[in-house]
Amino acid sequence: MTSRLATRGLELRYADRIVVRDLDLEIPDHAVTAIVGPNACGKSTLLRGLARLLAPTAGGVTLDGTDIHRIPARTLAKSLGLLPQQPVTPEAITVEALVRLGRHPHQRVFSTWSGADQEAVERALARTGVDALRDRPVDRLSGGQRQRAWIALALAQETDLLLLDEPTTFLDLRHQLDVLDLVAELNADGGRTVVMVLHDLGQAARYADHLVVVHDGALAAAGPPGEVLTAELVERVFDVPCRVVPDPETGTPLVVPLARKASPSSVH
Amino acid sequence: MSAIVIARRRTLAWCAGFAVLLVALVGVALSTGRLHIPFLDALRALFGVGDRPTVLVVQQFRAPRVIAAVVAGAALALAGSMTQRLLRNPLASPDVIGVTGGASVGAVLVIASGSVPAALTPVAAVAGGLAVAVLIGASAWRSQVSVTRLVLVGVAIQQGLAAVVNLMIVRFPQELAGQALQWTSGSLYGRTWTEVWVAGGAIVAVAGAAALTHRRVAVLDLGDDSAGGLGLDPRRARLGLLMLAVVLASLAAALSGPIGFVALLVPHVVRRLAGPPTPATLALTALTGATLLLGADYVALNLLPIHGLPAGAVTATLGAPWLLWLMARSERRSLT
Repeated sequence: MTSRLATRGLELRYADRIVVRDLDLEIPDHAVTAIVGPNACGKSTLLRGLARLLAPTAGGVTLDGTDIHRIPARTLAKSLGLLPQQPVTPEAITVEALVRLGRHPHQRVFSTWSGADQEAVERALARTGVDALRDRPVDRLSGGQRQRAWIALALAQETDLLLLDEPTTFLDLRHQLDVLDLVAELNADGGRTVVMVLHDLGQAARYADHLVVVHDGALAAAGPPGEVLTAELVERVFDVPCRVVPDPETGTPLVVPLARKASPSSVH
Repeated sequence: MSAIVIARRRTLAWCAGFAVLLVALVGVALSTGRLHIPFLDALRALFGVGDRPTVLVVQQFRAPRVIAAVVAGAALALAGSMTQRLLRNPLASPDVIGVTGGASVGAVLVIASGSVPAALTPVAAVAGGLAVAVLIGASAWRSQVSVTRLVLVGVAIQQGLAAVVNLMIVRFPQELAGQALQWTSGSLYGRTWTEVWVAGGAIVAVAGAAALTHRRVAVLDLGDDSAGGLGLDPRRARLGLLMLAVVLASLAAALSGPIGFVALLVPHVVRRLAGPPTPATLALTALTGATLLLGADYVALNLLPIHGLPAGAVTATLGAPWLLWLMARSERRSLT
């Protein structure tokens, strides 16, 4: 396994609170990595750290062996794309205008819009299936379409690595699966390395090649879902007694919480 | 044809319309006065063509004031548009967040001293505006640039500085107080070519620099995390661009005194006419601001029965009800 993106003894803080501590991580190339963990375990913070949005207070993040804080922001943005959890959609911006902004790292102050820029935008629009919506204002789209438009922006950036922070939040089940299928395709046909924060363990196990489990800001486990996701680990990290069975569709691990004793209020 | 192309054409059409209106207004303003000069003669005289008395009246007495209004109006509108966009607040503008107050204090201090040459008034105004910007910037840089906090600090500074200016005017000897009062009410009276060349040239240069940054501003519109992901340091970029806006507003104040509401109002007008901001709407913003301030000055000078009313009074009379309406509307929107 090769790994371009890695962390070594990474510590991240918000104000004085340590959110991620002493974390060693290697993100496998050309694979889909899912970061999972309970609420407030630091998984989104970790992703922001990987994207250089947060400066480490100890340790560091390296891309091809170089500390990402020593790489110029624009250069890094040509290798590493990011879809934040709650991006701000500018009022009345059209899908195409939004996706064009993905070309920002490739442009200079005086450079004009090039053929290569337009081609990248066209590829991104086609790849995410929002081609037909290009003239529509993004703030009028459905949640699923809007998320696709944002992914198209990150694709137009043409990076080898793509970081997605909870790309399925606020979507209904069908659109969650649409987005995850798209991510799988992006990885399969471009060999793109994808890192995403996910909430749903079943989806993470289905769609990720590599699972990173974060607990209280530290690494609880990392590896292929089939090896990592055990009943013992889920109980320890999520505090949920459970059985792990093979997903009847895919054979990947499926977490089934044990039935709890009925609460007194529901007994009559 | 894509929506982007259509929007650009619509914006360019509005630009052409405002450009024609502006040239017409310049011609009318140059031809109006104690000595009436025909419209076309006035425009020709601006470029030194025509008989000597006409050229003298137009070039020496009327043109500086007209050009000052055009340049200051454009600068105010651009500054307002940038401020509102960067702070993501439709009510933010340089005259609300204290920059104009800083410029006033600077100018009034020079006038008050009595010994400093009056030509330094614009320089002092720019210095005052920048000083306030640095003050606001420093307070915002330490915290995680909370926009609300930045605006509140600005409003407090603006009110404080307005009080300082009033205090100084009350304590001044009579003749200096008159001069200071005239300056602080936003008047284009008595502009000289020197002032127009220096401040105007600086405004053109800064506005050009601002136009080159349109991509950065568009990326900042996506929120700090997305901007960071696209290779832009959002905090540094936002403060840098705000400084450009502050310099523009201070230079405008140096030319015209503290004119209210142009910076606040024009971005909303442009949004109504041409939709969301693009590079082309920047040009429309500048043209609309220039037209509005020149129009206000013309109304103040020629159409109102009260003699010697400053342009700032006209823009304030127009702007105050607009601001109230805007606030009422945004309140309704946030309730629904």
